[in-house]
Parts: sequence; structure tokens; C-alpha cells
Amino acid sequence: MADENEFTLSDHKQSTTNLSSSLTRKIEYLQALNAAVEKQDDRLVYQLIDDRRYSSEILKAKQKNEKFENEFLVSDIHDQLSTFLSEKLIKYLREIYPFFYFEEVQSGVYQFYFGNWWGRRLFGELDVLNVKFDFIEEEYEKLSRSFALEVENKRYNTDTINELSEEMDNLQELIDTQDQRDERKEEIRRELKRQSQEKVSLFSQVKVKEQKQKLIDELSNLTDLDEKANDAYQKIKSYEDKVLKLSKEDTLLGYEKQSIVAKFGTFENFEDHNKALYRDYIADLIATKGKVD
Amino acid sequence: MMERINENGSITFFPETVDEEQNVHSLSTTGRLLAYNDELKKNLKNGIKFTDILDKLIETDDPYELLDAVTALSTYQLNSSYLVFPQQYSQSDYYLIFLNRLLQLHENEKVVIQSSDRNDELYHEFPGINHQGYFVFRLEDGFEGGAYYTEKKTGEVLFYINFNQKLLHFNSSAITNLLVVKYGAMFNYKVVKELESYLVNLGNYFKEDFGFEVDFNIMDASNNAYYKFTKQEIPQDALDKLFIAASKENFMLVTDLNDDAILKLDNNVELIITDRPVEQEKTGFNWGMSIQDQNEKVAWFDLLFKYSFLKDWYLNNLKELEIEVNQLYF
Repeated sequence: MADENEFTLSDHKQSTTNLSSSLTRKIEYLQALNAAVEKQDDRLVYQLIDDRRYSSEILKAKQKNEKFENEFLVSDIHDQLSTFLSEKLIKYLREIYPFFYFEEVQSGVYQFYFGNWWGRRLFGELDVLNVKFDFIEEEYEKLSRSFALEVENKRYNTDTINELSEEMDNLQELIDTQDQRDERKEEIRRELKRQSQEKVSLFSQVKVKEQKQKLIDELSNLTDLDEKANDAYQKIKSYEDKVLKLSKEDTLLGYEKQSIVAKFGTFENFEDHNKALYRDYIADLIATKGKVD
Repeated sequence: MMERINENGSITFFPETVDEEQNVHSLSTTGRLLAYNDELKKNLKNGIKFTDILDKLIETDDPYELLDAVTALSTYQLNSSYLVFPQQYSQSDYYLIFLNRLLQLHENEKVVIQSSDRNDELYHEFPGINHQGYFVFRLEDGFEGGAYYTEKKTGEVLFYINFNQKLLHFNSSAITNLLVVKYGAMFNYKVVKELESYLVNLGNYFKEDFGFEVDFNIMDASNNAYYKFTKQEIPQDALDKLFIAASKENFMLVTDLNDDAILKLDNNVELIITDRPVEQEKTGFNWGMSIQDQNEKVAWFDLLFKYSFLKDWYLNNLKELEIEVNQLYF
């Protein structure tokens, strides 16, 4: 007997149908994905795991009012998807970006270095599922800045190196002029001694006092310089180390710039390519598939 | 000492006898004379034997005989209390003569033996280097058969040789100082290279003819040669400097998966700076260099001459890059 106080609940038959058709859609999705994987159809895999992006960037279609939650079905196997998709993608990237060297640091995670030269920089991580470079901001910024400095005909560290070099020259001079300072100090000391022994008339007392103070000031100034000279060797060494690091960085950036210019002409063109990477890659997959079929 | 005035006025001195006392008393005058005569004969024979060996040193075409001759001569006891030869060559002289004879056998005598009246000795002079190089052997104290081939004015020891132990080790430090730095500044490469080839040839002859263990060090052009640095750790600063210096000369110092540093030079020559497991007792790795070239003709010595940026780099960073010499001999 129906209790009139009970709320009306879903119709169980209807829920069964709903659930069953949802599950069927999911199964179909996974089957489609599995088929794409087995057929090595990377393009279709990309489409299936991010239909929204695929539609907007590749099909240029208005977003259909579809549900995308199927994509969450594979969220716990992203590293496996990434490993699967990386093979073709990295092969493609090696052609377009021959100066990036990819290293698999853990399953499905790829970092890349800029160049194969000594001291090359770790430059970022590859987001395989999104076909995107995640550059290390600081390193990228250095590169971008050193392109910008080209108009001034400067390298990234030119100014700092010049400052340090000047500082080192000054320090070296302090060291080199030690003998002169020693001589001058001796002179002053003699002069002070002479003055102290001289009888001074009342009239010139003030003047002599002034002179004496001047000499004392000069002497203390010279002693200060001596102290600086004492530290100079160590400072020069530490500046040399700094200059070495900076020159190395400039050399690295120089090679990086050369590589980009050789392949892309300009930094802007390089950046444009990065932005269009997803589209370009899918287009390439379509073209390659066409060739293979 | 006994003495006797002879009929012709000359005096015969009888050697002091070291024999046991009872023999002295038991010997008659005739007996003494006979004994003395025997000693003289023995010593003359010893001299004759010496000249036979010297003949061999001068004339033989057989490398083994030659080696035997010099080994025998270098320790030959020619003088005795009965017989003294005032004109003699020294051990160093015999070694020098031996080197020239060995080179002659290979029809490759590039070095000239000169005689110094002032020093009363023989020395080697090298055509082209001329009076800027005066090479002699300095003998090793207390070690029989060991000698240092030394440039006398600079005191640089180019190699150590030991005839008894059958080994010859070149000294990279002296070769760098004398050939690369000093002669490199005075003479053109061809002249210095000739001198180097002469040394390498010598090493090869000792190795091939006599089975000596030869360490060519920085003159070793084989691809297996590994020039180990004295310092074990990675020469990080020096490598960074090389990276910068090379880029200025349009060469690139690259790295590989093992984090080695590789400098690709002209004609497919590669300089590889890497670490290798250290031998024997010690554990860990030691950094050093190797040079790869198709014909195995290029040694570190050659690169020092060919690329001035490499020479500057090496000489300015010796603290990190000094190539190891055998501590036993140098």
C-alpha cells in the first residue's frame, strides 16, 4: 500500500536504463580509445582524451554540447598514455627542434635540455598529453632577454662582466701601488716626526696644526687602502670565478641563440611555433597517416 | 810497498799485497813475481775483453748483442790496482753511443753525438735545436742500470730508462716545459716535431727490439692512450674555460650521456675528457684525456702545437690538468 506521505522517487526502470546507457557510453569510449591505441592512431587518441581542445583547435568547430567526463576515465593512467604518445611526438619534435634533448626521468615524464654542448641547460619539461613545452621560466627568460639585448649588441652578462672587470682592475691597481703607498707613508711619518721636533712660533701654530691633521688624514687613508689591498687577491679570485660563470652562461646562450636562428630565423618565429605546436603536430599526424594509408 | 832499483835505473814498485799474512811470508821472490805477472795478465785480459765488447758496441748489427754490450760496458770494471786506463768513456757516454748505434740499425740516426772538451764528456745535439739542447744521461744514484736522459742547461729530464728493469718512461712535464713551451717559442713546429719523433722512435725501438715497457705519455698517439690527470676530481673550472675558449675558435665542446666532455677538432680528431676507474689499490674514478683519430697519429703533444688555444688552456690550468708522470721515476 502506498503511503501518501512518502516522496516520489525515481522510477527504477528509468534509472536502470539511464545507468546502463551511461555505462555503455563509457565502455564505447574506452573501446574506441583502446582501438585507437591498438591501431597506433595517435591522432585519434589525442582527440579522444581531449575532445574539447581537439574540436576547437583542429576542427574549428563550435563546442558541441557534449559531455567530456569520459576523459576522466583515463586520468589515473595519464603516465601510460604519455609514454605511449611520447614516441611519435618526440620523434616529431626532434625534427622541428633538433636542439632539444629529451630525457625520460620517470615513466611518462620527459625533461629536455637545450643543446648537447658542455654545461647545457635543463630547459623544461614536455607535456605530452597537451603537446606543450613547459619551459623553466628563469631559463627561458634569460634566452628571451639575450635575444632582446642583441639590438644593443650586448650579451646577457656583458654589463655585469664589465663591472666586475673594472672592479678587478681597480683591485689589481691597489696591489700594484703598494710600494708607492709604503713610500708615501714613510715620507709622511718622517714629516710628522720632523714637525713634532720643530719649534713653532705662536703665529704659525694653527697653520702647522692644520698641516699635521692633513698628513694624519692622508696616512689613515693610505692605511685603509692597504687593508683593501690585503683582501684584493681573494676578491679578485672570487670575481674571476664569477666572471667564469657568467662567460660560460653567455657562451651557452650564444649557442642557444644560434640554434634558434638556424632553425627558426627569429626568436618570435620560435615562439609562434611553440604556441601552434598542438595544431601543427595533429596536422602532421593527419598528413603522415594519409601517407601511410 | 816494496821497491827495487833495476839495473837500468828504473824502479819497479811491487804492489802492496792484500793476501793473508802467511802467504806473504811463504812466497819466494820468484813466487811473488809470478803472482804479479799473473795479475797483470789477468788485468790485461780484462782490458782486451773490454775492447772486444767495445767492438761489439761499435760494430754489431745485432740489436741483442748491442744491448748486451752496453749493459756490460756500463758496469764494466776496467781499472784495477794493477792497471789504470786514464782515457775512458763514462757510463753516460756509452748510453749515448748505444742510442746512436740503435738508431743506425734502424737507419734513422737523427741525433748527433758531440764531444765536449770543456766537460770532458759526450752529449747529444739535435739538428735544428742545435746548441739550445745539450742532452746527456744522468745516472741514477744507487740504482744499477737506471739513467735519466737530461737536457743539461734546463735540467729537464725527458725520459728515464732502466736497462735492468727493461723500462723507459717519458716525462710529460719535461716534454711540455722543454719542447712545447721553450722550443715551441723558439723554433717552428717542424723542428720540434722532429725531436719528438726521434724520442718516439727511440721508445718504439726499445719496445720492439728489446721488449721494454715503454710509457710514451703525452706523445702516445694510439687511441687507447689515456692521459691521466694528476688531480683525480673533475676539472670543472678548466672544462668551463675550455668550453668558452673553444667557442671563440668556432669549436664546440659537447657532452655525451656519460657527462664526458668532447671537443671535435679538425680532420675528425676528437679530444675526450672523461673519467675512468682508477687502477689497483685506490677506488673511484680519475679524470683524464684521450684523443681519438682514425689513423691513430695524433697525440696530446701534437694538439698542443696545432691549437694555440689548447696550449694556452693547458698551460694556464696546469693545476687541474697536469698529466700524471710516474712518481717512481720523476
